Amino acid sequence: MSRVFGYRVVHMSLAATASFLLCAPAPAPLAAQTAREIIDQVDRLMRGESSHGRMTIDIVTEHWSRSLDMEVWSLGTEHSLVYVQAPPREAGTATLRAKDEVWNYLPRADKTIKVPPSLMMGSWMGSHFTNDDLVKESRIVDDYDFEISLDGSVDGVEVYEFTLTPRPEAPVVWGRIEEQVRKRDLMPTWVRYYDDDGTLVRTMTFSDYEMMSGRLVPTVMLMIPADKPEEKTSMTYHELEFDIDLDESFFSLRTLRARR
Amino acid sequence: MAPDAVWWRVAWRNLWRNRGRTLITASGLAFGYLSAVVMVGLTDGMVAELIENGTRLMMGQVQVHSAEYLPERNMHRTIGGYDGVDLEALLARLEADPDITAAAPRLYGGGLLSSGDETKAGLLYGVDPDREQQVSTLLSRVSQGRLPVPDAYEILVGVEMARQLSLSIGAEVVVVAPASDGSMGNDLFTLVGTFETGTPAIDANYAVLPLSDLQYLMAMDPGRVHEIALTVTRAWDTPLIASRLAASLEGSGPQLEVTPWTDLRPELAEAIGLMDAVNYLIAGIIFSMAIFGVANTMLIGTFERRREFAVVRALGTTPLGIGRTVVYEGMILGAISLAVGAAITWPIVVWWHNSPPDLTSVLGGFSFSGSQWRPILRIEYSYDTPIICAVALFLTAVLAALYPAWKATRVPPADALADR
Amino acid sequence: MLKLAARSVGRNAQRSALTAAAMVIGLALLIFSRSLAEGAHEQWITSAIRIGSGHVAIQAPEYLESGKLEHRIGAVGHERALRAVESVSGDQVLAHTPRLSVDGLASSAASALPIRIEGVDPEQERAFSDLDEKVEDGRYLEPGDRLHAYVGVELARRLGLKVGTRFVLTAQSAAGDVEGQLVRVVGIFRTSIPEMDQGLIHIPIETAREWLGTPDAVTTVAVLLATSRDTDRVVSELRDALAGASDLRVLGWRQAAPELDSALRMDDYGDYVFHSILFAIVALAILNAVMMSVLGRRREFGLLQALGLTGAQTGWVVFGEGLFLTAVSGVVGMVLGFLFTWGFFRNGLDFSGLAESESAWASAGGMVDPVIVPIFHSSQVLLSLYFILIIGTLASIYPAMRASKLDVAEAMKFDR
Repeated sequence: MSRVFGYRVVHMSLAATASFLLCAPAPAPLAAQTAREIIDQVDRLMRGESSHGRMTIDIVTEHWSRSLDMEVWSLGTEHSLVYVQAPPREAGTATLRAKDEVWNYLPRADKTIKVPPSLMMGSWMGSHFTNDDLVKESRIVDDYDFEISLDGSVDGVEVYEFTLTPRPEAPVVWGRIEEQVRKRDLMPTWVRYYDDDGTLVRTMTFSDYEMMSGRLVPTVMLMIPADKPEEKTSMTYHELEFDIDLDESFFSLRTLRARR
Repeated sequence: MAPDAVWWRVAWRNLWRNRGRTLITASGLAFGYLSAVVMVGLTDGMVAELIENGTRLMMGQVQVHSAEYLPERNMHRTIGGYDGVDLEALLARLEADPDITAAAPRLYGGGLLSSGDETKAGLLYGVDPDREQQVSTLLSRVSQGRLPVPDAYEILVGVEMARQLSLSIGAEVVVVAPASDGSMGNDLFTLVGTFETGTPAIDANYAVLPLSDLQYLMAMDPGRVHEIALTVTRAWDTPLIASRLAASLEGSGPQLEVTPWTDLRPELAEAIGLMDAVNYLIAGIIFSMAIFGVANTMLIGTFERRREFAVVRALGTTPLGIGRTVVYEGMILGAISLAVGAAITWPIVVWWHNSPPDLTSVLGGFSFSGSQWRPILRIEYSYDTPIICAVALFLTAVLAALYPAWKATRVPPADALADR
Repeated sequence: MLKLAARSVGRNAQRSALTAAAMVIGLALLIFSRSLAEGAHEQWITSAIRIGSGHVAIQAPEYLESGKLEHRIGAVGHERALRAVESVSGDQVLAHTPRLSVDGLASSAASALPIRIEGVDPEQERAFSDLDEKVEDGRYLEPGDRLHAYVGVELARRLGLKVGTRFVLTAQSAAGDVEGQLVRVVGIFRTSIPEMDQGLIHIPIETAREWLGTPDAVTTVAVLLATSRDTDRVVSELRDALAGASDLRVLGWRQAAPELDSALRMDDYGDYVFHSILFAIVALAILNAVMMSVLGRRREFGLLQALGLTGAQTGWVVFGEGLFLTAVSGVVGMVLGFLFTWGFFRNGLDFSGLAESESAWASAGGMVDPVIVPIFHSSQVLLSLYFILIIGTLASIYPAMRASKLDVAEAMKFDR
């Protein structure tokens, strides 16, 4: 059962991009206050942001491997629509999220079902992203405090590393998140998720940076669980457009049912 | 000393001289025998009912899984792994075992059922309708409609689930379940019937469909099943049968685990163990009372026969002789009681066993721990119970005679005759 | 006549004592087993309803069927309900506690599971349920706690939680939005009831109200009584007190927890069978004993009749004896049974050796402590006594009739 399609992932790459656009380039060290302001501004900018893209998601688990081609629309953080185009067995499956309601369209049954929140469990479409990742509205600024843990060079590349710790009452499951961002273009390179004890639970890595619709974005995102390193999920973008002409009415059951 | 036979004759005649007392004591003992056998039979009957209800509704008495399936019940760990097995061959092999009366294959899935705006999580239970009916009683609890037919996208759900989804017979139900290739299996089914077990946990959460339909939904080959449930010939010997079967299946074919219901539902097994303990307690109580009764009457008898003993003593009988008489009286009494007891017990037990009274109309049905339970007073008998009771009865009679016998030897003839 | 009867019983004290022994033991045993059964049942009920919705539950009318947050009691209804509960007569009510319950999801870094979330008032809940005593690690909720959750040991295991670990609750709020709430584990409990250990958590009710957007609301007002036998009485009292309130419904535990009801009735059934047999045995013993005494005293009766007593009167003497014997053994048996049970087992009879796994004692959401404390009810004791007397009476009739038909001359004939 899919929820909001990886906007968070998109968001983070865009936030990084935006911060590049908004602040002075590299050599000057980044103040924590400035970093937070940047993210905050970007966050507010993202509220009106719309996007449309096509991607492939590859999942490898202990018992099966699977590859899905999808087309995605999203508006802000509360609306999204995902269509599966391949493989044939799943083609035509679609998921709509509008505010707090989630609907699935199932092609073989030719029916739409409403999925109540209490039934959202475990992984999104069988991947290593959880519904928990994608359910909540992006509130990175509200949920976490930032700290710059590294400002320097790693493997010959100039990077910033941030440590995000959840605010006291933020409803998030992670005890800590660490991320690394390249100084020259503020592209994220990896994000690590830790539980409350400080144990690494999963790692997301970014690569294949390309220009899409005028912005530099990482087109490949890979999620690897720490306890099962032979498993992974990778999302590859083929196309991505921003600021398209979309409004809330697009995200409706009618659109969901109209097959493309 | 007189030969033994004499004492027996004397004992016999003594008994019959006091016909009333003898008959009463004998009938008391006989009735005690009847009560003991019936009581044990009844609790055995309750135990058998409990086992049946606990295992026959859905579980089955023995379950066969892939060795890696339990306890997590991971959907991918079908019998024979990803490739499955030759199902017909395995079923035939299991049924060939002399202690197995029936075998039924099952597939389990967890998913969603949806109708209109209502969506609900449910447990999908894929079965072979014909075979399943020989192993469990779930399919006989259809309250409306009929059983689903394979390859026709038909489904059967519990009444509570039907109510929550506002389903009526003939309605469409969307079924979604994670499939073995990671995708979301989904399809449209038609509701052809509802079942009612009386247990909310089952009636609200289970949906039954033909095995082949669920396999297709979950992208599994026809040879892939999670479980094969078996019915055995003797329910109380299940653990033995299971381990023997496991041994015979070893070597050829996939790695299997054969689990008796006593391992699947240990709390049920323990509840039954408790009842067995109660059985012994009851039998103990009954026989204690019997001892009391016999000792009682024999003691009374001894008091009242003081003069008689005194006379006999005066005529030259040794105290030991008198003692032996009394003991022999006890033994004869025991034998007679036994005969009477067996005579009345046997027809009653046989009749009761074959037509047990059903108290459902009086007491109503109950649902307990996932099983529907109807109060049928049932008797199970094995061959050892009556024999054990008989031996106990006999020993009781003899033991009960000992104290009075001893007292009888102590009667001083002169005092007794003088009524002192 | 009675005097004669009493004296003849007294005269043959030894004989009478023996014949009475059977009855005494039977009755003592009956008292023993009935009091244990009562004790076990009461415990079972209590454990289930304390963790559940109490002996009596006050809820919104549709709540039992739907279980949804929309069917909750608001501030006004809550006030009314509380006033009604306070007004219940006597000491019947031991405690009451408010609950705000929802079904939701618990997610941790490791996994996510569906659970039942109970918002409780820590202080009142302590007096009400015994969940606070089942702490395995950490502590129970305390007044002033906010983002604290008390979770079962199975849930903690599956979600990888320890005391202090964070996890997130997700559920649909009153407005229909999906809301997340952060909590941290403050304590881990073990009830040995699987459904509770993996599917139940307690959080402070104020936290739940804030999270779900339902200020001052409750889904259940749970009431604990001194004994489950007061349930029907208290339910009708409360229904009268709340007659006008269409937003409130009063339920006894049998309606609110039907699985428990079923399980108890099934257990009762087993008890009835056992006790019937016991009664039958006692009756038999009495019959046997009285008959014996009659047969052994033919000469005596013959003498009595020769002295002028009619056959009928002889019969009455025997009957009187039987009755007297029964009454005395009845009382002695009761006292003996009571003393025996109370003396040795007032602190409970430990059956824990009989079952290996702890969960054998759990069923229908409740738990019987392997140490069973016997409970005596005057009504139950009197009922047993009543039955014994009836049986004794009936058992004396046949011997009495035999005695009345005695042939005097024949009886006198043999010198016994």
